[in-house]
Amino acid sequence: MTNPATRTLVDPNLTIRPDRTLIRAHARSERFLLVEVVAPTVAPDPSRRRAPVNLAFVLDRSGSMGGQNKLGLAKQAVVEAVHRLEAEDRFSVVAYDNELDVVIPATVAAPGERRRTADRLAGLDARGSTNLHGGWLTGCEQVASSLTPDGVNRVLLLTDGLANVGVTDHDELQRLAGTLRDRGITTSTFGVGTDFDETLLQGMADSGGGHFYFIGDVAQMRDHITSEVGETLEIVARDVVLELVLPDGVRVEALSPFRVEHRAGIARVHLGDMVSGQVLSVVLRVTFDFGEVGREIGVAARIADRDGAFAASTPAVAPITVAWRYADHGANDTQPRDRDVDRVVARLFAERARQEAVQLNRQGRFDEAGKLLDGVRRRVASYAGSDPELQRIAAELRDERPSYAAAMPEYARKRAYYDASTYLRSRSPDGQSQKRV
Amino acid sequence: MPDDPYTIADLARLAGVTPRTVRYYVAQGLLPSPEAAGPGTRYSAGHLARLRLIRHLQREHLPLAEIRNRLASLGDEEVRGLVGEGGETRVPAAPAQTLAYVQDLMARTGVQSRVSAAHEAAAPYQARYEPLVPDAFPTRAAPGDPVTPTPASTPWTAEPRPLPPDRSTWERHTLNPDVELHIRRPLDRRTNKRVDQLIRIARELFDDEG
Repeated sequence: MTNPATRTLVDPNLTIRPDRTLIRAHARSERFLLVEVVAPTVAPDPSRRRAPVNLAFVLDRSGSMGGQNKLGLAKQAVVEAVHRLEAEDRFSVVAYDNELDVVIPATVAAPGERRRTADRLAGLDARGSTNLHGGWLTGCEQVASSLTPDGVNRVLLLTDGLANVGVTDHDELQRLAGTLRDRGITTSTFGVGTDFDETLLQGMADSGGGHFYFIGDVAQMRDHITSEVGETLEIVARDVVLELVLPDGVRVEALSPFRVEHRAGIARVHLGDMVSGQVLSVVLRVTFDFGEVGREIGVAARIADRDGAFAASTPAVAPITVAWRYADHGANDTQPRDRDVDRVVARLFAERARQEAVQLNRQGRFDEAGKLLDGVRRRVASYAGSDPELQRIAAELRDERPSYAAAMPEYARKRAYYDASTYLRSRSPDGQSQKRV
Repeated sequence: MPDDPYTIADLARLAGVTPRTVRYYVAQGLLPSPEAAGPGTRYSAGHLARLRLIRHLQREHLPLAEIRNRLASLGDEEVRGLVGEGGETRVPAAPAQTLAYVQDLMARTGVQSRVSAAHEAAAPYQARYEPLVPDAFPTRAAPGDPVTPTPASTPWTAEPRPLPPDRSTWERHTLNPDVELHIRRPLDRRTNKRVDQLIRIARELFDDEG
């Protein structure tokens, strides 16, 4: 995975489309960019080995995990996931309640070790409270103890409850996840049932460079865990970054939930790890100051990753320049719009509003939740024109309004939040990365 | 070298420290010794880059011992590469440094380390802190010494677990060249919380000074 010279990488892609190409000469303008990044595909070659992975499975064994055989299913899922590993990989299993147990210390995934996993997990049962922080850090330590600099080092943190022992502050846990990511350990999270906090788990996964999975139905536990493990095995490019060179007076922010770093006229959008052939859509908001009519202004964009996979692919991805031209109000108001970009932007605003409405709903602020959806609906309707897709986005917001404006069952809240989360991150409704067809 | 551009005063001014701090870092092995001693001593651009990196890492609350470990593995070119124009730095984490970092987080929040001594021995760097303290200072309990178990008042240990003797280490925080704080880790949760607060307040106090 990390040595591009030994693999054949083909067909990466980068496209950038602006919603409009004229900007206002006598007022500030706001424009959107739809960026699509396609990770290179690894050409099949059985003689090449993928890079090793180093995974810690961190399982919640608090009392509630005994219900619906949640812990039993989680153990089964781990056993199955471990069987997908190969002798170069490493894994460990940590269980946490108020106590922390390293059930299987970081070990090489040799066939014998893989077979013994089920036996070693047999004695694990549910009890106690939830020291999520301690369990997570203990998993991080296992991964760190056998860190594979060229591979994927990831903690898979599973919980069905609220962190109530150890560090429980959300901001602090997210900050820690970010510092660990900078040091090579990524974190993915799995929330089971309806009693966990999705904003914490999504936040830890975002800062931690991993993924968050909502397991609403315990029967899906296996699918989600094995799919995340499968994804770590397919990563072709780690720490993918979209770099934008900005002229003076031009600012960029991401509407999609990716971290943007600004530095001396360059904005770097951190897209995380990408698997072979993965497609990622990112929407950026660009704001412009005034300028003389007729003047052109451009943003240069390129894509890079820690493993140099994009650079080593054939054909290589060329840098792209997007240009806008200053024009008077009349020309601005009558310019054509790229409807594909409008649709994605509208959908993004709708999904963000749904997530916010879920939080308001949970706080009992039903009226505000309803008004929030109304606001976005009106904005979308104002530029929908005769476009059926945009009209549909507005109609859905109108139809869903009543359910957000009255107490929602917790499952519905979590489902709505997660559906929005996965869309915003270009993932399928069940949390998997989307690939080029 | 005599051609080197900076006097100690220049160097200190450019890095925003006092000359005394520069001498202290040299004495502690964080900065290489200048070529010649005395009033005419000159420092190189490499010294400046290194000094800036040290200050940056200190702002991230890394103990001097870990800073020294990181710098030891970097050549001048790499140091310069890390001290960007914007003063922003990113130090590539060596595996052992990541382990040390995680174990530091665990120690700070009272989570017991579970990585066996065999693992630690395999790491190229000592994973736990090797504080830079004078020889006479009792850095850690000798293997046979009696060890006080951590109090069991914390909610995550059902039973007090005596810590293995080699797990107790002194951690040193240098607040300025003349003031240090020594803490024996691990601590129980209550004390740990207070100590964290103390360090935060102390850092603010001394950082303001410059």
